[in-house]
Amino acid sequence: MILGVAASLVAHNPRIDWFGIAPEGTLVATAVAVLLLDLVMPRRDSWQTSRLASVGVLVSLGFVVALYERHGGTTPMFGGAYVVDNYAIALKGFFLVVAYVTILLAVDYIGEGDYYQGEFYFLLLTSVLGMTVMTSARDLITIFVALETISIPTYVLAGYRKHDRRSNEAALKYYLIGAISSAFMLYGMSLIYGVTNSTLLSDISDKVGQTGHGKVLAVAIFLSLIGFAFKVSAVPFHWWAPDTYEGAPTPVTAFLSVASKAGGFVAMLNIIFFGFSNRSNVWWVVAWLLAILSMTLGNLTALRQTNIVRMLAYSSIAQGGFMLVPFAAYGIARDHGHLSVAQTSFQAVVIYLLIYGAMNLGAFGCVIAVARRTRSADIEGYGGLFTTSPALTVCLSMFLASLTGIPPLAGWFAKFVMFRSAIDAGGWAGTSLAIVAGVNSVIAAYYYLNVVRTMWFKAPATEAGPVQVPSALGFSIALCTVLVLAIGVYPQLVGHIGDLAAKAASVATGS
Amino acid sequence: MTTFHAPPLAASVMTEYYRQYLAVAVFVGAALVMVGAMLGVGALLRPKRPQPEKYITYESGSDPFGTFGQQNVRYYVYALLFVIFDVETVFVFPWAVNADHSGLGWFGFGEIAVFVLILVAGLGYLWRKGLLSWA
Amino acid sequence: MALNQFLLLAAFLFAVGAYGVITRRHTVLVLASVELMLTAVNLNLVAFGAFNNDPVGQVFALFVLTIAAAEVGVGLAIVLLIYRNLRSSDPDDVDVLKG
Repeated sequence: MILGVAASLVAHNPRIDWFGIAPEGTLVATAVAVLLLDLVMPRRDSWQTSRLASVGVLVSLGFVVALYERHGGTTPMFGGAYVVDNYAIALKGFFLVVAYVTILLAVDYIGEGDYYQGEFYFLLLTSVLGMTVMTSARDLITIFVALETISIPTYVLAGYRKHDRRSNEAALKYYLIGAISSAFMLYGMSLIYGVTNSTLLSDISDKVGQTGHGKVLAVAIFLSLIGFAFKVSAVPFHWWAPDTYEGAPTPVTAFLSVASKAGGFVAMLNIIFFGFSNRSNVWWVVAWLLAILSMTLGNLTALRQTNIVRMLAYSSIAQGGFMLVPFAAYGIARDHGHLSVAQTSFQAVVIYLLIYGAMNLGAFGCVIAVARRTRSADIEGYGGLFTTSPALTVCLSMFLASLTGIPPLAGWFAKFVMFRSAIDAGGWAGTSLAIVAGVNSVIAAYYYLNVVRTMWFKAPATEAGPVQVPSALGFSIALCTVLVLAIGVYPQLVGHIGDLAAKAASVATGS
Repeated sequence: MTTFHAPPLAASVMTEYYRQYLAVAVFVGAALVMVGAMLGVGALLRPKRPQPEKYITYESGSDPFGTFGQQNVRYYVYALLFVIFDVETVFVFPWAVNADHSGLGWFGFGEIAVFVLILVAGLGYLWRKGLLSWA
Repeated sequence: MALNQFLLLAAFLFAVGAYGVITRRHTVLVLASVELMLTAVNLNLVAFGAFNNDPVGQVFALFVLTIAAAEVGVGLAIVLLIYRNLRSSDPDDVDVLKG
């Protein structure tokens, strides 16, 4: 729909790189097919829709890989509003893998409850479509449409347990905050359009650099950033996240905390690096404050949680703070005139996103598996898990250790690139960022490792047999485990992707 | 995005544009005077005997019940359906206006066909789920 | 007519909407306030587009309009769902919302 209408507005001979949008096309076709298949299938066979959805995601992923193999250059479409470069390709791949793992996490959860199945996968695929579009969006309209395509299906997904009041509340809070933040963001965008007379980020970047309209631009940039801060649940715009994460079905929570959040960060990457680079004096303070507040408050509140899903919710707020550090670092460096930091900070965000996705999805996979037995998410219930299900315990311990940032696991590399960007930025602002991030890593270690301690050393709370892990769930946990280990031992794996992305971005920003 | 022609809006054009609204202003003024005169004369001449029944809302002779604002929820689905297809025209309309002379040709037709087909798939879904029948 | 008049009206609408979002307790009224904020955005976009002689503003406004409609559809569905659940949990309450 987006592409269709955008195309019809472009010039007489719209040149469309059909191969470039093949991943998105596949997702659209799959989503519609899933919805129609669900209609013709009898209710008891509707789990088949999950198969179709995962095949669609994998085909789309195949196109992404083929795109990577095809070329290294950028392909601007629709007058530069839609670009398929290495950065976009890398993140498209990431989102599709996340979508695949989410389907694996959800298939038993959704299949066993009394849920509509076809619609679940339809909504999931639509949201993923928005994410893949977002990676290529270089225009305010496209960014807005992609962001809403990501968000609107997730409002419904959050309330998927229709008869559970907590799920209702989760959906309502998420929805209201999403709608309000969109309104703020749009008001900011409308002012930016008014000042620069263009919605293309490249044009905006040029015009923002010229003097004049200082106050209007400051308000505009500030309002748009507030909109994104809501989406990525940065403190002080985070209060919806723990309630929504707790109330939503757990596979949806995993999806929200990884994919939806990453979608918000990709939007921020696009708009800050490609659009607002030349006005870093306006936004670096905002990014700096958001980063410091999110890290500190997220971690301190996570310390007090007794429910593991709520704990992971606050931890994901804190991790979001860590991801905001490179943004602030870039702004600081840009303000001081060091342009070289653009590369390292861009790379840091991309790498952090990829690694965070793997370890957080894995952790949620384990939580879903354990909840199948205990029917609750209390941390107390994890006591003695090692004696009953050792393999699962080892996996969950690994994910938590990786989230902490302990060296042989992927998380340390994410933290490493994040610290490097802050230190490269220099000055009192960069140094203070690095110090706060360091202190917070230590605080985070306490609550992550507390869960590990409970699992290994506490006596079991109840007499219960081992956790039965269905094959799809087991496979997804195994996949995340392999990724976390492989990246930790051989960080060049994502380092290379981050390099490619940053290079593509530096071509686009001209720095 | 240069093929989409908006009318030029020079200052003189804008004042000309607003001058056309002068007629509307005259109409509004005339309407106010006429209605005010009729009601005013009526109020002066008519006898005044207030009774409570006279203040009940007139609903074709039957007594009104309930309060304002409680509609059947079923209307929600229809309202939503209406909004969706109403908004669809927002996208089809610019295409239709430009279809024959802007060189969009079969390409544009294909694009809009895909757009409409996706909406039709949604409509088919609603139909199969029984949301179109009043039950 | 100056551009500023449109912008001031839009800013006023946006402020009224934001005030409504903060003060109203009823979800439907919050939604209405958000719509008011979006109206301000559309007014801004169309005014900028007209005064800069650029059609993109109008196109942007159309997208905002469409997506706001989709968003409100989902929002009302969620409100309705909650309303039903709360009603059903309270048998003393008159079941006015059948359907």
